[in-house]
Amino acid sequence: MSRTSPEQSRRIQIIFILLLIAILVALPQVIKSDSTINLAVYVLLFVSLASSWNILGGFSGQTNLGHAAFFGAGALTTRMLWLSGWNLFPSLLAGGLVAVALALLIGVPAFRLRGVYFAIGTLALSQILYITVGNMLPMISSLPAQDLAVYQLAPRYYLFLAIALFTIGAGYALINSRLGLGIMAVREEEDAAESLGVSALKHKLVALALSAFFGGLTGGAFAFYHVGYYPQLTFGPEWTFDALMMVYIGGMGTIVGPIIGAVFFVILRELLALNLAEMHLIVFGTLFILVVLFLPGGFMGVWGKISKALARQQ
Amino acid sequence: MNERYLNWAVRVIGLVVLVTIIVACAPAPTATPVPPTKAPEPTKAAVAPTTAAPTTAAPATTKPPEPTKAAAPPAPAYIEIGASIPLTGKFGSLGQQVRPGYAYAVKDINDAGGIYVKEYDKKIPLRLTVYDDESDPTKAVSKMETLFADNKVVAYLGGAASDMHVATTAIAEKNKVPYLGIAFALNAIHQKGYKYLFSPFPKSVQQGPDTFTILNALILDQSQRPLKVAIFQEKSDWGAEQGALWKENAVKNGYTVVVAEEYAVGTTNFVDLINKAKAAGAETLLALPNQPSGEALVKQMVELGWTPKFSLIIRAPENVTWSTNLGKNGDYVTIFPGWHNGMKFPGVDKLNAAYQAEFKRPADLLTGPSYACVQILAAAIEKAGTLDRDKIRDAIAATNMTTVIGPVTFNPDGTAKVLDPLIQWQNGKLEMVWPKDQATKPLAYPAPAFDRR
Amino acid sequence: MLEALAQNLVYGILIGALYGLAAVGLSLVFGVTKFLNVSHGELLMLGGYASFWLFALWKVDPFISLPAAIIFLLVAGVVFYKLLFGRMVKLAEGDKIQNTLLVGFGLSLILQNLALQFWTADTRSITTAYSGAVFSFAGVRFPLVRVASLVIAFVLIVALQLFLRRTYTGKALRATVENWEAATLMGIDIQRVYLLSFVMGAALAGVAGALVAVGYSIEPAMGMSWTLKSLVVMVLGGLGSITGTFVGGIILGVTESATGFFLSLTYREVVGLVLFLLVLVFRPQGLFGVKEG
Repeated sequence: MSRTSPEQSRRIQIIFILLLIAILVALPQVIKSDSTINLAVYVLLFVSLASSWNILGGFSGQTNLGHAAFFGAGALTTRMLWLSGWNLFPSLLAGGLVAVALALLIGVPAFRLRGVYFAIGTLALSQILYITVGNMLPMISSLPAQDLAVYQLAPRYYLFLAIALFTIGAGYALINSRLGLGIMAVREEEDAAESLGVSALKHKLVALALSAFFGGLTGGAFAFYHVGYYPQLTFGPEWTFDALMMVYIGGMGTIVGPIIGAVFFVILRELLALNLAEMHLIVFGTLFILVVLFLPGGFMGVWGKISKALARQQ
Repeated sequence: MNERYLNWAVRVIGLVVLVTIIVACAPAPTATPVPPTKAPEPTKAAVAPTTAAPTTAAPATTKPPEPTKAAAPPAPAYIEIGASIPLTGKFGSLGQQVRPGYAYAVKDINDAGGIYVKEYDKKIPLRLTVYDDESDPTKAVSKMETLFADNKVVAYLGGAASDMHVATTAIAEKNKVPYLGIAFALNAIHQKGYKYLFSPFPKSVQQGPDTFTILNALILDQSQRPLKVAIFQEKSDWGAEQGALWKENAVKNGYTVVVAEEYAVGTTNFVDLINKAKAAGAETLLALPNQPSGEALVKQMVELGWTPKFSLIIRAPENVTWSTNLGKNGDYVTIFPGWHNGMKFPGVDKLNAAYQAEFKRPADLLTGPSYACVQILAAAIEKAGTLDRDKIRDAIAATNMTTVIGPVTFNPDGTAKVLDPLIQWQNGKLEMVWPKDQATKPLAYPAPAFDRR
Repeated sequence: MLEALAQNLVYGILIGALYGLAAVGLSLVFGVTKFLNVSHGELLMLGGYASFWLFALWKVDPFISLPAAIIFLLVAGVVFYKLLFGRMVKLAEGDKIQNTLLVGFGLSLILQNLALQFWTADTRSITTAYSGAVFSFAGVRFPLVRVASLVIAFVLIVALQLFLRRTYTGKALRATVENWEAATLMGIDIQRVYLLSFVMGAALAGVAGALVAVGYSIEPAMGMSWTLKSLVVMVLGGLGSITGTFVGGIILGVTESATGFFLSLTYREVVGLVLFLLVLVFRPQGLFGVKEG
């Protein structure tokens, strides 16, 4: 059996990706239903959020249970600036940068902690922000009637698409760079990496900052998208846990894993919700557990096994 | 390396397939809306166009299946309405109380053949689609969009709790679909200039002054009035709104606020607040805790030995389990729930009977207002004579009718002029103590100390 | 003034004991099996409902029905272990945490929504004839049911300690915490030890839930906040120390309560969490934890 050359398969890969992007770009032109576009927005939101969590959690192996803090910081900053009259893009950028600033502020003390201590420490940090924002900004943040009159979903969709592609692209560039290799080396064996002159703290901080930046951007896009909510909402622990579940079930530390995880998680849940009323979470929970029990390494783990088996046959 | 790229290609194909699934699946649910438990699909009402159109009296043509003129266009089988309700998650207990009211009202209207719509010159039944939004405002947005795009609803009914309404009312406004919602007293939502939002439910601006005017009307002897007031204010926008109104109106009516303290949402430790109120000799307690907070508050009041003569605890005691959870300690507490099943308005008896048959008790407090939402909507559709959303919206705005919650008219901001009955827990039952002409029992006052009940 | 402060601290200790009891269950399971069971809060809820229904239907006193709640949770624990968690035993530690987290997440959704279907979304609570009873000492009131809850929590912790230190099975459990490979070589049946610690953790959650139903209230959606609180207390006290975890719970309870007295009622939980982070900065292994590696 003839095998494709590396150049050929690389070409195939690029064509597929471009095709996919083209489909996604054309989506709002083809489908006029706000309901479908809205679902796509929701999927892209979680693709970005899960992929951004994966930069720290997957590539550098630090289980961050406080990712909602970055999402929330981005959302809060962007919402405040945008509603006060700033242009969208500076507001988004500011949201991302505020999240990075927060990340660097907490990074050094947080990385003194290891394993489950780091995980729960970051959880506590985001809970502090969650409660504090709820206390300090208890008022609703909803768009005024004149803004809703001209509200369009398509621009929101494209913004989310751009951020998702940006996040995925950045992740891809990272793992193929020297920096990314260093980050993954630290994940595998922190002490060994240190002895080879790789600064573990520096690499972890870079991963944290990138993860926070994209988490913040995603939050900013949420702030631009959502019509009305309490600012506290974006700091809720659900954002962290949903993103983490998607990464785990998709395949941690891979580029495609978080994407598949997000698509599976969001669409399955929405379809069940529309068809089963209040029984849907029981069914979703059951299906979710079945997937975990039968695919212990996530979807990508199974892919790995299948393609290995195929390669062996060839 | 070769293998790696192959794998990549396979993965990307997988992704394309998944995305295709998104596109393919998303509009699918149209075919299978979820009928709420008690809104049966109207069968007999779906009649053929010819029998429903009596205009055939003047047959101009000989073709039998053709309707006579273009006067009555083919009518839709149903008038689609929909709601995104928090049936699960933290607002589940509120959402579960709201839903039956909608369902009973839809059933009653459809049993009578539906709503007469002049444009089609026939009665058309309502079809209500209810989705669960898991108490998540973001999921509520997507349910609202689905109701609009796929179910093509002509009007929305609301869910419960201001957290959810803030998102869903904005979507209604964006889609220009009339929205009738209850189970939130937050006035701020009505101050955004929304034109499609209507809420036949008492708001904080009404309850602030009512608290003291009702008290003064019920306790005529000035020396007996509970003039020293303690306000336990939840740190939320509604808490701030209601707290400020209580403070302002207390002074106007001759009351003194001796304690006004804030606590975080969901607090279950009220020791310091109770001790302060006790030390200040407070006689009236005003608070709006959620149910876990409210029950913890009463338990700790009992333990610390502080019994206010009068307590108005909005929200927590509205739940049916309040009394079974707290026993005698839950008595004497008053609430402002917007309705009571003892109200003497047409339709209340029928609603109670239906509720009794299903839940083995007369209708719950939120059932009346949610039933009224559908009554108002049905009257507006009939008056508009069309399924045009803007015309229905205008007809709702001009509402002037008597519903199961009494007479209803709307203000320009979408709040309503409705009765604001004061209800009290007495011997484990909810009794209406205000308005006087509706009251089922007089106000039990002052509350005896907890240890002497 | 002083009395009010004393009263405040008493309530802080009393709620702290419940935090501690809930967290000890989680910590025991995590220490032995490295299962991060995020449905721990839902197990608490099940215990609460068991106690509530025995009281509501047959007027069984909640303190007398505690053994029934324990048995209910032991059975539930066995079922969940055999069906779900037991399949994760052979995984590497990282994968184990990851997969149990996923399973726990799914399980918590199922349990929460089953509770909602069977028992409605309404809040439930138990009020007995003696619920408001207090005894006073130096002007400070001690609510009877809450003190009883504290005593029960304390007795359970002591019993658990004795079990772990004095019995063969207990020693096997502790050996597994230290080094499960060595424990296997010594002839300890890992599956049995894991099962045992898992069901004991579930039973402790059940007791905590029953006590919450008496002192506070329960509802189907209560699990998440108790899981988060237990996670924080588990780490605050430090892994591997049962007494440490319990004391950590009391410290957190007192901190939250005292914040209400001295500072602000709205930032009570925030100050508790800040204290937690400060502890971690100075003692990354928690208050009573043993430094790893």
